Parts: sequence; structure tokens; C-alpha cells
Amino acid sequence: MTAAALLSVRGLVKRFPGVTALQGVDFEVRAGEVHCLLGQNGAGKSTLIKVLSGAHRPDEGEISWRGEVVSFGNPTAAMRSGVAAIYQELDLVAGLSVADNVFLGHELSTAGFTRRAQQRRRTRALLDRLGHPDIAPDRDVGRLSVAHQQVVSMARALSLDGQLLIMDEPSAVLDPDEVRVLFGIIRELTAQGVAVVYISHRLAEIREIGDRVTVLKDGRTVATGLSARETKTSELIGLMTGRVLNNVFPQRKPVDPAAPEVLVVRGLADGDRFAGVDLTVHAGEVVGLAGLVGSGRSEILETVYGARKAAEGTVEVDGRKLRRGSVGAAVRAGLGLCPEERKSQGLLLDQAVYRNITVSSMSSFARFGFLDDRAERARSTKLTETLDVRPAGVDRVVRGLSGGNQQKVVLARWLLRECRVLLLDEPTRGVDVGARSEIYELIRELADSGVAVVVVSSDVEEVLGLSDRVLVVREGRVVHDGPADEIDESRVLDLVMEGHAA
Amino acid sequence: MTVTAKAPPAADERLSKPRLLDQLVVRPEIGAMLGALLVFLFFSVVTEQFLSLGGAATWLDDASMLGIMAVAVALLMIGGEFDLSAGVMTASTALVTALLATQLGLNVWLALLVSLAFALAVGALNGWLVMRTGLPSFIVTLGSFLALQGLNLGVTRLVTGSVQVSGMRETVGYESAGFLFASTFQIGGQSFYVSIIWWVLFTVIASTVLVRTKFGNWIFAIGGAAQSSRAVGVPVVRSKILLFMTTAFAAWLVGSINILRYASVQANQGIGLEFQYIIAAVIGGCLLTGGFGSAVGAAIGALIFGMARQGIVYAGWNSDWFQLFLGVMLLAAVLVNNMLRRRAERVKR
Ligand SMILES: Nc1ncnc2c1ncn2[C@@H]1O[C@H](COP(=O)(O)OP(=O)(O)OP(=O)(O)O)[C@@H](O)[C@H]1O
Ligand SMILES: [Mg+2]
Repeated sequence: MTAAALLSVRGLVKRFPGVTALQGVDFEVRAGEVHCLLGQNGAGKSTLIKVLSGAHRPDEGEISWRGEVVSFGNPTAAMRSGVAAIYQELDLVAGLSVADNVFLGHELSTAGFTRRAQQRRRTRALLDRLGHPDIAPDRDVGRLSVAHQQVVSMARALSLDGQLLIMDEPSAVLDPDEVRVLFGIIRELTAQGVAVVYISHRLAEIREIGDRVTVLKDGRTVATGLSARETKTSELIGLMTGRVLNNVFPQRKPVDPAAPEVLVVRGLADGDRFAGVDLTVHAGEVVGLAGLVGSGRSEILETVYGARKAAEGTVEVDGRKLRRGSVGAAVRAGLGLCPEERKSQGLLLDQAVYRNITVSSMSSFARFGFLDDRAERARSTKLTETLDVRPAGVDRVVRGLSGGNQQKVVLARWLLRECRVLLLDEPTRGVDVGARSEIYELIRELADSGVAVVVVSSDVEEVLGLSDRVLVVREGRVVHDGPADEIDESRVLDLVMEGHAA
Repeated sequence: MTVTAKAPPAADERLSKPRLLDQLVVRPEIGAMLGALLVFLFFSVVTEQFLSLGGAATWLDDASMLGIMAVAVALLMIGGEFDLSAGVMTASTALVTALLATQLGLNVWLALLVSLAFALAVGALNGWLVMRTGLPSFIVTLGSFLALQGLNLGVTRLVTGSVQVSGMRETVGYESAGFLFASTFQIGGQSFYVSIIWWVLFTVIASTVLVRTKFGNWIFAIGGAAQSSRAVGVPVVRSKILLFMTTAFAAWLVGSINILRYASVQANQGIGLEFQYIIAAVIGGCLLTGGFGSAVGAAIGALIFGMARQGIVYAGWNSDWFQLFLGVMLLAAVLVNNMLRRRAERVKR
């Protein structure tokens, strides 16, 4: 395909106070192609997108759109020219309805009066097209699950009828089924000549949907126009990280059958999303929960942690029963939960990285009521180096970090806390391949030191590679429980999807 | 590729119409409505005059002056900002009009126009400062509150040698302007101030803008999440400045009604009223955090104020009790609003 370039970018530079996020990006997108952007956390992918969609102004460089040099001063200008973007951080307004969100900023209106009925109808049609007849256009967006919010964001982008659709990690919160629907829509759009810029850390997706790949590293284009299907994985990872990665998953040690049972959950039910959940985790064991987004996995973790009240069943830690619905009791018993979503769940965006990491372990840094600042920094520095948080420096404010790096900070917080039982919900969402293996390594080290770990992940490969034992959850029930090396990916997928989609 | 159908969710929410009660409960002003009803019934039973036409004319008038401001302040609060200068602005605008008309001999209509321009400029400046500096509007408008208060007193004393401006009755155009802002109309032999009509009109317009127009949608959006709104192309800066200007406009309206009704104005008028506006808006269902509230609610909040303030007078109680009543009312309204909102959230889940 040798279509003319729809968008071409040359020598793009974007500086933030203290960091140069983009320092010379070149690439071009043709009509009708899916162009993938690859790069480590903090490589500058999201910044590039924000510049292209008018949310940031570039400091240097040139953007040509349909052969003409343009400068989009604001998102509206970009939208008018036909550039629509789905940002990595969801950009919805809680409190407004789904339909109002879809059309926010480009309302259908006559003399300033919104045509609500028409907006609702169009939204309905868009949501149906995205495979979600279950989302009502009148619902308050703030009450939707993260996955559904992502769907609304996509509906929003589609409603703009753009010539270029930019998607920043749209699949991070979607389950395989939803990703398939998304890909279907992307193919439809590209067949009509719409160009798509697609960002994901999952190489498998890029192979499936992408045409060409551009790799960014430290704000620079290191390769562009690579074939999405033919380029070797090792080459892509090499370009992204500048090093060779052999083993993604750490070596498993056989779990000592005599190891004490640390976490014992029996017959847990919340009277709504799940029921009859049994779960036993030994010291030193990593148990993985596989299942679709919305199958009840996160709810199970939250209930074990006491953040949701159990209707039935018991949770025991080291043989002592926990009081229902009490996070305090759970924490005292040594439970820790690293939640699924970083933004709403406790990142102090305007505080330094090290404060964010130590905030849950304050007491171990306090001496006579005073915080030992130096120790806090030292421990945080070590963790952030291991997790490769970029740019380095624990005194940076978290708000300025890229999405994946924020996720690493949340994770670091929970890895630092000395727990008996660590519950991790999607620990590697949005994290690049390189850092991912470091995270697996850390989790394994923790387990080896005797911690009981439960990991929820939508990435089946991750569940299988990381865990000793795998539980498959479907519609709030545990449908499989067995050692990880006795089951393979396709079997897990079968179990996960059974009765769900043909 | 064929798109596979998803398993249908347990209950298709498109099919189940929300029950009437649940729909009502979701409205932000429902708590204020209940409160207003209670206060109305209470004083109707306890006092004689309250229910009479004369009584109603008094408490409606009281409510209207507060209500015009409360509605404007509610829009601003839904948009995520405060304006502490709103109270003194009612005095500033009246002073500008009065000084120009009495000292310079300007036609009252012209003086009103200049005063309006002054108000809009101050509103725009407030908004511009807030957006430009990124400081909380609470602080910025606290500054303009103090500055205006100083100007009101300083300029008035400098020009007139006292702290009040009077003598409006002798000015050119006082009668015709007075007809628009300070006349009365008759219902059942009882005269009502025209300010009540202004109040109703202002509430209807504000509410229509808020609920039916895209600007209304933007107000909710910028109050709920300014960052996200900006990212999707809502003109955040322009909208917020416009909201500050709306508040200033309302202050001009109230200031004009005052000066044309009483023909004189004290330079220290209006101080402390800014909190009454906020209280009325909060009773009416506005959240201090922005993104939620109602213009009608704020108008009803002001109505509660007016009824209670006059009701206490009719009951022959010392007006000291008004503050106590206000405190209780505010807490009760906020608690009820909060409870209803929680319930609404449960209903929607
Ligand atoms: N608003 C901001 N202020 C300061 N620095 C920023 C800001 N936004 C991004 N940065 C910095 O710019 C660099 C690029 O960030 P960007 O979000 O573009 O990365 P990314 O490639 O999208 O990473 P991820 O895969 O984690 O989403 C990072 O070093 C980040 O810290
Ligand atoms: Mg990003």
C-alpha cells in the first residue's frame, strides 16, 4: 500500500519543566493503515498523542496534515480537522450522563440548545456498534466500571467521525472479547480510509491489528515504518529497551507442601457478584486468578480485603478469622491490596514519588513520631531503580510521570509494605515489557521470602507464567483450581469464555 | 469478522423505567423543596400574618433579593468556583450608579449602564485572575472582596464626606428607571415588588441555560473535571470567566433594585451577604466541590431564607434566633441532600 501520507511529523520536540518528553520524533501515517507506536514507559507515546491532538503545543518541529503544515492550538481545532483521540487517562466527566460525555465539546445543538434526544439516539447506536447494548446513554458515567468507561471514551472518539483516530492503550482495561470487537471496528474504519494510530504494550495485539510500527525510545524515533507482522519480537524489544531480554518469567521453585496455609477463604459470597469462592494460599505460593474483566475477580479481592462486605463465608489469615467488612482488621492481620486502578485509588498526584511509596508504611519510618526522611528516600530509590521508574528521581511529583510509571509507583508502595498476604490486581497493566519482567521477579522474591501472593490478571500468559496455582473465575464462580503447569493458555481461555461468546 | 453477541446482562436497564420516586430522589433540589414546605407550613400555623397576602409580599421580596444572587452563585459553584466579592458587589454597583447620578448629574439610565460595565469588568477580572494564576477562587475573590470594600468606603467618603450616598430622587431618569427596577404590582389589592418578577425570570433563564443548553452542560463539566473538559475541547477559561461575569451581573441587578427603591445606599452595605448566597445555594443542593447542583434549588434555598427571616418577625421572636434557625436548616438540608444522593447512587447501580 503506497497511499500518500495523511499525517507526517518531523523533528517534534516537547519540553516539560525538568524533562524533555519528546526530542525529535519523526513518523508518518497513511490513510487506511493501523500505525502502532511502541516504546517503554515514559518513552513519550502519550505526549506525542497529546501534541497531535492539540492538547499540548510542540516546542519545535512540524506537523503536516493532508500535505499542509498545521498547528492545532487546542483539541477543538484538531477535532474540526478530523483528528480524534482516546487518551490513556480516561477523560470522562463523572456526574454527566454517558450521552452528554460522548458529545461534550461537540454537542449537537440548535441555537445553543442541546438536542438531547438526538444525542441519546446516536450514543445508543455507537454503543451498540461497540458491542455494548448494556450501557444506557442516560447513566451517570461515574457509576460505570472502568471497562465500560473505556467503551464510552471509544464511542466519543467514533462520534467525531475523524480521518485519524488515535488510541492510547485502549485495550488495557478490556477483556479479549471486547478487544476483538474493537479490532473489528478498527478494520471497518481502515477499510473506509480512516487511519488509526494504536498504542499498546501487548505485542500480540500489534501483530494482529497493526500494519506498520514506529518505535520510540527516550522521546526519539529509533525506527519507523517497520512491518508489524514480520519484524522479530527480539528486534522490537531490542529497539525499545536497548537490551536483550531472554526470560520474561522468573524460575518457579516448587512450593513446599508442608508450608503453612496463610490465607484460607471458605464459601465467600457478596450476595451479588460472586458466590461460593474457596481459596487457599500457602506461604511462598503465588496464586493467579484468571477471568474476564467483570467476572468478579476484583470484587473477590476487595471482599477478602474487607473493602466490600461479605454476605457469607469466612476469611482466615494464619488461622485467625477476620471480621467481615473491616479493612482495619485485614491490615492488622497483614493483608495488603494493590488495587486495579491507579488514578482513583490513592496516588497522591501532587506529592513526590517517595512519599507515595512510603505512605502505607509510615510507621516503619517513624522514630519517636518523626519521619526518617533519609530512610524513606533510600528505600524508595532502591525500589524505583529495580522497577525502572523513569525519569529517575524520587523527588519528582507523581503527576508528571507517564501512565505506566505511575502504575509502578503504586506497585512499589505495596511491595515495600511487609505483608503476610499480598493481593495484586492487574499489577502490570500499562507496564512495558522490560519492567514487567522486573515486576515478576520482585513478586517471586516476595513469595520466596514466605509471603502468600494472589494475582489477578487479564493476561492469561502472565497468570500462567507467574503463578504456582491458577484459579479460573467465570461469572462470579471459581470454575477451575489447579497447578499452573498442568493447564495451558487455550484451555484457560476456553474456561474463561465458556458460554460467553461463540 | 463477525461480532459475537454478549451474554445479556441480568436486567436490561433500558427496559426497566425508573420508578417515579427514584427519579425524584435524583433531583438535587428535592431536599430544599421539602425544607421549604416544612418552613412554610410551620410559620403558617404558628403566625397569623405569614399566610396573608401582605405577609407573602414581604417574605417573597426578601427571598427575591437574595434569590437573584443565590441563583447566580449556584451556577458559579456548579462550575467549580466561589465568589466572595458577590456581597459587596451589590453595594459597589449601587454606589457607582448613585455617585454618577448625584455627583456628576448623569442621567440614571446612563449611570446604570456605566455601573453595569463596571460590574462586568470586575467579574471578568475575577475570572481572569482565577484562571490565570491557578489560585483557588476562594482566595482570589477574598482579595477582590476586601479591595471592593475598601473602595466602597474610601471613594464614598472622599466624594461625599460621609459613608452614604443619597439624593437619588432628584436625579434625571429616576422615575423611569425606578419603574423597571423598583416599582410594585397589584395582586388582590396587595402590592408586590417587581424584584420578585426579576427573581423568577432570572431563575427560569438560569435553569434553562443550565439544563437545556450546551453551555449548561459545560458548566457541569468544568465544575466536575476541568482537566478532562479541556482535553475534549470545552472552552474552560471562557466559560468560567462568563460565570464570574454572570454573578457580577446579578450583583448589578440587585444593586440597581436597591438604589432605585431606597434612593440611598450605605458604603458598608452587602458585607456578609456572600455567605448567605452560598448557604442558599448549598441548601438548594449545590456541592461545594462543584459539578452538581441546581438553579431552581438555589432559588428555593433563598425562599427558605426569606420565609424564615420574616416568619420569625411575625412570630414576635427576637431576630437573634434567625441565626440558630439558619444553622439548623443548613445542616439539615445538607444531611438530607447527602442521604438522598446516596440513595440515588444505590438506585442507579
Ligand atoms: N504534564 C507533564 N509534566 C511533566 N512531565 C511530563 C508530563 N507529561 C509527561 N511527562 C514526562 O514526559 C515523558 C513521557 O511521558 P509519556 O506519558 O508520553 O510516556 P508514555 O510513552 O506514554 O509512557 P506509558 O507507556 O507509561 O504510558 C515522561 O518522562 C514523563 O515523566
Ligand atoms: Mg502513555
